[in-house]
Amino acid sequence: MNTIESVTQTLKSKFGDAVKATETPTGNRLVVDIDGAKVKDVSKEIMSLGARYMVSIGYDNISRDNTLGLIHTYAFDKEQFALMLRMSAPADNPVLDSITPDTPNAGWSEREYQDLLGFKFQGHPKPKKLVTADDWPDGIYPLRKDVPHNLVPPAAEDVAYQLDEAPPGTTTIPIGPFHSSLHEPNHWALYVDGETIKGCDYRGFMTHRGIEKLCQTQLSYNEIPFVAERICGICGSVHACCYAQAVEAATGLVIPKRAEFIRTIMLEIERLHSHLLWLGVAGHLIGFDTVFMQAWRVREQIMWFCEKLTGNRKTYGMIIIGGVRRDITPEIRSELETICKNLEKEITTIHKAVAGDTAIHKRTKGVGYISKEDTIKWSLVGPVARARGVDIDARKDHPYASYGEVKFDVPVVDSCDVWATVLVRILEMYEAIKIIRQCLQKMPEGPILLEVPEALPAFKHMVMMVEAPRGEATHYVITGEENRPERWRVRAPTYPNLQGVPSMLMDNQFADFPIILGSIDPCFSCTDRVAVVDVRTGRKSLVGKRELEELSRKYKK
Amino acid sequence: MLSKLSKKMFAKSLWVYHCNSGACNGCDIEILNVLTPYYDVERFGIKLVGSPRHADVMLLSGAVTRPTLPLVKKAYEAIPEPKLVFGIGSCATGGGCWFDTYNVTGGGDKAIPVNYFIPGCPTKPEAIIYGVALALGLVDKQASPYELKQMEFPIDAYERKKAWEERNVIYQLIKD
Repeated sequence: MNTIESVTQTLKSKFGDAVKATETPTGNRLVVDIDGAKVKDVSKEIMSLGARYMVSIGYDNISRDNTLGLIHTYAFDKEQFALMLRMSAPADNPVLDSITPDTPNAGWSEREYQDLLGFKFQGHPKPKKLVTADDWPDGIYPLRKDVPHNLVPPAAEDVAYQLDEAPPGTTTIPIGPFHSSLHEPNHWALYVDGETIKGCDYRGFMTHRGIEKLCQTQLSYNEIPFVAERICGICGSVHACCYAQAVEAATGLVIPKRAEFIRTIMLEIERLHSHLLWLGVAGHLIGFDTVFMQAWRVREQIMWFCEKLTGNRKTYGMIIIGGVRRDITPEIRSELETICKNLEKEITTIHKAVAGDTAIHKRTKGVGYISKEDTIKWSLVGPVARARGVDIDARKDHPYASYGEVKFDVPVVDSCDVWATVLVRILEMYEAIKIIRQCLQKMPEGPILLEVPEALPAFKHMVMMVEAPRGEATHYVITGEENRPERWRVRAPTYPNLQGVPSMLMDNQFADFPIILGSIDPCFSCTDRVAVVDVRTGRKSLVGKRELEELSRKYKK
Repeated sequence: MLSKLSKKMFAKSLWVYHCNSGACNGCDIEILNVLTPYYDVERFGIKLVGSPRHADVMLLSGAVTRPTLPLVKKAYEAIPEPKLVFGIGSCATGGGCWFDTYNVTGGGDKAIPVNYFIPGCPTKPEAIIYGVALALGLVDKQASPYELKQMEFPIDAYERKKAWEERNVIYQLIKD
């Protein structure tokens, strides 16, 4: 059993001087400052202690000590704490060792900071472009402070993304950027042998809107929750809540109890409507439109309720730093209770219909298999991991809001395929109803908003995890001066899960691609911020403009 | 004028192609939502199709980002004439809250000619149905452009309103 002390001890004794300093900002967070040269070994050691890699955060520190900072974060789930591994590299030559060979999930984070901050990672297996557009010029790093948020370099004509070379004996099938089975723009190249998928390449990040930069340079602390809700139209409250909690924890604000309960209710309402939405979309993807229509019909009453409670069907604008903006009145409360009752009945009907349907079984069982070991290796999160027998849930492992005070189960299924994700999500809906009911009962009277002091302390680091419907969302905040965060990093659950998709696709039928991708409930707008995952290592090929045009003609038709 | 034209050109069922140029999912879900039992636009003959080649109308949602700009243009060119484009949501209307960031080009009109804008964040399903129906001349217009009353001499406000009416071509067009 690791504790903060034991991990600190282990790292200090193993690496001696390389560990420069340690601190514990709160009871369940550990910050370790290390020498950048040793990052690979330290990271390997932390992973061998049983940690789960979450995300890396790069930040610009040039104005203060002429360095670029990088933080790798790890979660110890059963031990309920998180570790932030902090290092820096000189700004004129920001070279660090890549940790991707040991922790494959760090691949995207590192590539992101190659694009956005100008880091170089030695030993990265695939150091291609990830976030910025293909025609974005080299040498302009948008997240650096000297680059204004509205700098738009002129577009170039003949620059195209270079897809990986197809493995020998396979044909490339391009899917996207606009495709009927993808609801958001992103480009997949599937390498198929006959009907069997033998690998893939992915270029996404097409909905990268530069939200982090915008918020760090233009907005103030309490304006960001509203933009955070617009990261994703489905899990809006999650991002707002996660951000608000990170700032509160970093600056030591304690919000009223009633606000915590209302936040929990908002998060669970969101889980309910998101899972119903997903169930509908999954039905649609396997060609079973009845499920789509029925699930969305049931979902509609939640949307109407949200409109009553918050004034909008989505992007609620409920959660801000210090609490929530609207209270749950007795009338709203009794209506929510009625809705819970209706939903429970309707979901039971849907559950029976879906569980007893042989067509759904045939389309989902054994499809998208990924073993439990690979799930842990790729640090997958949320229902995708829980469908592979990995029992992780931020609500239990890192309790926030009022999840510590309510009783609920975390459904875990271990058949490791798409069917298991369907089942996990349906079972989670019952749990969500259970949580809402308990919250309504236990909710104390009192204020819902805390008066936030004028100036919040600067340069405090905090990482916060919130269980979104699709998995664990992680926000990292470094508080700053001028009433806005110095750095705010968002990692949506699709970010790690999408990196595991190539393993799930391997050796499956081409026709199952939509549902396998759909099974992670991908939300590219959360993630995007473009990405490429390579299953088989191959030489890089150059795809010229003409070839790309041909490809694009092919997929347009 | 445009609605009269629409009535003539799109007299029968409309096939709609949904193009997400970098939206947050909010508007996309509301677009899908209008197909579901409560809103059910299929009763008006409106159908969502997967390919721009099949479509009469393009529903554009989201701010046009730098990577999707050429793609949106291509998708627009792939739709056969005559065609209409609807910008759905605040982002497609004017670029939304990230209109000027480094990776965003702006609203839908920065990429392709947009005929109608339906604002909202996200747009309500009722608003989408109303917007499309209005454009096609299925319903009467219930709101019209209105200039804010100025705290000035009444005669001045009157003249200004008149001058504005004469100048504004769009106003004339919508007014028939």
